[in-house]
Amino acid sequence: MIRFIAGRLVSAVPVMLLVTLISFLLMKLVPGDPAMIIAGLSATPAEVEHIRQQLGLDQPFLTQLLTWYGNLLQGDLGQSLLLGRGVTTSILERLPVTLSISFYALFLTLVAALTSGTLAALRQNTWIDQILMSVALIGVSLPNFWLGLMLIILFAVWLGWLPSGGYVPFFEDPWGWLAAATLPAVSLAMLQMGLLARITRATMLEVLRQDYIRTARAKGMPPWIVVGKHAFKNVMIPVVTVTGIIFSLLMGGSVVIETVYSIPGVGRLMASAILRRDYPVIQGGMLFVAAMLLVVNLVVDVLYAWFDPRVRYGRDGD
Amino acid sequence: MTRFAGSRHLLYGMAAAVLGTFTSFAVAAETFSCPNEGGDMVFGQEAQVSGLDMHFSSAISTRNIAMHIYESLMTRAEDNSPIHELAASHEVSDDGLTYTFKLRDGITFHNGKEMTSADVLASYERYQKIGIDRTSLEPVESMSAPDPSTFVIKLKQKVPVFIEQISSFRVPIVILPAEEAAKEANQIEFIGTGPFEFVEWVPDGFVKLARFDDYAPNAAFEGKTGFGGYKVACFDTVTFRIVKEPGARVAGLETGELQGVEDVPTKAAERLAGNPDIKLIPVDNWWIHIAVFNQASPPTDKLGVRRAIQVGLDMEEIMEIATDGAYTLNHGLQYPGNPYFVEGGKEWYNVNDKERAKQYLEEAGYNGEPVVLLTNSDYTNMYNAALVMSEQLKDIGINAELKVVDWPTSRQERDNTDNWNLFFTGFGTGPSIGPQGAVVDLVPPANLSRAPENPELNDAWSRMQLEETFEGRKAAFNDVQTIFYENAYAIVMGDIQKVQGVRSNVDGFVPFRIPRLWNVWFEG
Repeated sequence: MIRFIAGRLVSAVPVMLLVTLISFLLMKLVPGDPAMIIAGLSATPAEVEHIRQQLGLDQPFLTQLLTWYGNLLQGDLGQSLLLGRGVTTSILERLPVTLSISFYALFLTLVAALTSGTLAALRQNTWIDQILMSVALIGVSLPNFWLGLMLIILFAVWLGWLPSGGYVPFFEDPWGWLAAATLPAVSLAMLQMGLLARITRATMLEVLRQDYIRTARAKGMPPWIVVGKHAFKNVMIPVVTVTGIIFSLLMGGSVVIETVYSIPGVGRLMASAILRRDYPVIQGGMLFVAAMLLVVNLVVDVLYAWFDPRVRYGRDGD
Repeated sequence: MTRFAGSRHLLYGMAAAVLGTFTSFAVAAETFSCPNEGGDMVFGQEAQVSGLDMHFSSAISTRNIAMHIYESLMTRAEDNSPIHELAASHEVSDDGLTYTFKLRDGITFHNGKEMTSADVLASYERYQKIGIDRTSLEPVESMSAPDPSTFVIKLKQKVPVFIEQISSFRVPIVILPAEEAAKEANQIEFIGTGPFEFVEWVPDGFVKLARFDDYAPNAAFEGKTGFGGYKVACFDTVTFRIVKEPGARVAGLETGELQGVEDVPTKAAERLAGNPDIKLIPVDNWWIHIAVFNQASPPTDKLGVRRAIQVGLDMEEIMEIATDGAYTLNHGLQYPGNPYFVEGGKEWYNVNDKERAKQYLEEAGYNGEPVVLLTNSDYTNMYNAALVMSEQLKDIGINAELKVVDWPTSRQERDNTDNWNLFFTGFGTGPSIGPQGAVVDLVPPANLSRAPENPELNDAWSRMQLEETFEGRKAAFNDVQTIFYENAYAIVMGDIQKVQGVRSNVDGFVPFRIPRLWNVWFEG
């Protein structure tokens, strides 16, 4: 397993370099640059060029690219053009924000989706099934920015239970973090809950029709053991795969949610950097996102092997 | 030599005062003091902060915050006339070439260092090097600091509007400690002399400031005026929280998590009007909505086509939809009430005569060539205005095409291509600074409209800056505005209002070009 993990990590390096190269090329193709934004409307081309020189954007493309990769080898992602600080610092100070909310959302997603999906399968074609799956369908269908605003109006403005936005670091004030992170996490989770609940239900229905489940029942095993021990572990195989994708989507969805709830996370940093054409931040952010996705995929693969003994990497012939 | 000492108010005709006319008011007997001190004022700001280096940003979002930290030698009063800030007085030599500034005593930076003319000199030199609006210092031949409280600027030639230029707040020439002024753009520590000192900035999250206890208010004034005056920090701390989403901003104001916000959407303002916990403060004349013609690209290279568009539009409909009703019709390139507000070219504004427009098109030989309206998705009012305008243009037989991109791309398209005929933008800060700021984009060298050489315009533009009297410069500005209308350089649509809001326990808040949070306090 260790060899497998090491191999995956090594193979991730060219993928990440390719991601950064493509993003570098794409950003150069997109019109507009930070100098123009800084200069303001009435700046002459000469003034814009002057600012471009100040920012080092007048260098040839290849020079900029090689400089960036050279710095990367030394662990330096460069300086933001507009934030007055390093890209690594900018990302690292936001990482706990995005990760904590994403994990909270993932926790809510898993608890709600696995419970409702399993319950719906066990009560197939009853009113419970129909209500749960209707809720899941609504969750999938709602745009998360709209849901975010509705939750703010309900829980912050009308009921006054939770804050309307902002972020409190967990280690500074755990209760404050919980209050501030709940609405964003629910908004993020709602979309993914529906998807995962439906997959859980479908898989559970398939598993419950298997011979070994029928055998377990025939042996007189209590229903909670049949479902909890025999069925559930088999249901988890596709669920784990989807969970990996969901976590990536939660991280991606944070761009919108972080804007709605005014949360200074990585998603918002990236969105702002793109709008401001802050190239080093976009580059560094892309590298970070690519690394995150690779790690998530690796974790999913490891869990997949753990859940399914038939899957043994390097021993596929079992 | 003409001296301006302890003046509370230097009128717009200040440059004319070189010849001997200026106004000085006696110092008022009673200065402002905070009725109540303390608390954290949390203000919901719409836009992201693109750096806090005031020399290197023209963004309103930067100015909103940075102007609480930094101050300049000269700034603008409530009516936008130049006033002293860190300067106690200044003298202009009889030949109009030498400006000698005496600095106020007892000014300290947030790092505890006393401000001297060496800091002023270093800041001006930095601005000459990296300042976005460094063209304002182009007439400068030399600068010196002969003693710690004197700063001297020598000009190459006489510039009657020089004081107006260096007091401009578009990209103000703020004074930094000399050691900071030696640093490159965006690399400085945020140290100024203002009533609030910098504490923390979490990009896209918030900027926190705290009261600067050693702040020395300008005793030449009795209260705040514009960016200057007698400023006092009543709050312990001020937090500018970046809340981009309008709905979330309004919700924050309703719940009391935000004690003030900028840019309340019109529909929300209607709903909040009856809320006793909230005070809404409309800021008139925030922004002149404008679409600039490309005179180098067919078919708008023909005056007839531009005129057809000019007379065929219904500005009331465009502005109503673009702004949800928060507008005033205005033909001027200055806001009503501004001393330079003029009538030139008014007869070409909001004509809304479709038949006349069709006649112009026919005379110009228009043959259905596409007219590209370049707008952006970032500013809803610009997008909506373009949408309505394109429909109105179709009504008069113009083949209008909408091109929607993001704001940086539209800027790039505007500067580097000819694939557009009308560029949608807004003049906000420029007109509030004065007539030069209002029209600088439309005259050479910026020449946004890509107009052919126009000696008449060049002459009027030159007179706007060189005429010795206010009346002379105002007449020149009237000529410039008339030329713009008669030659259809741009479509002026009207003025946009901006609504700001504060909780009802916030007192002393008066809207200006930034949300000023000095001389503002929480009721006890």
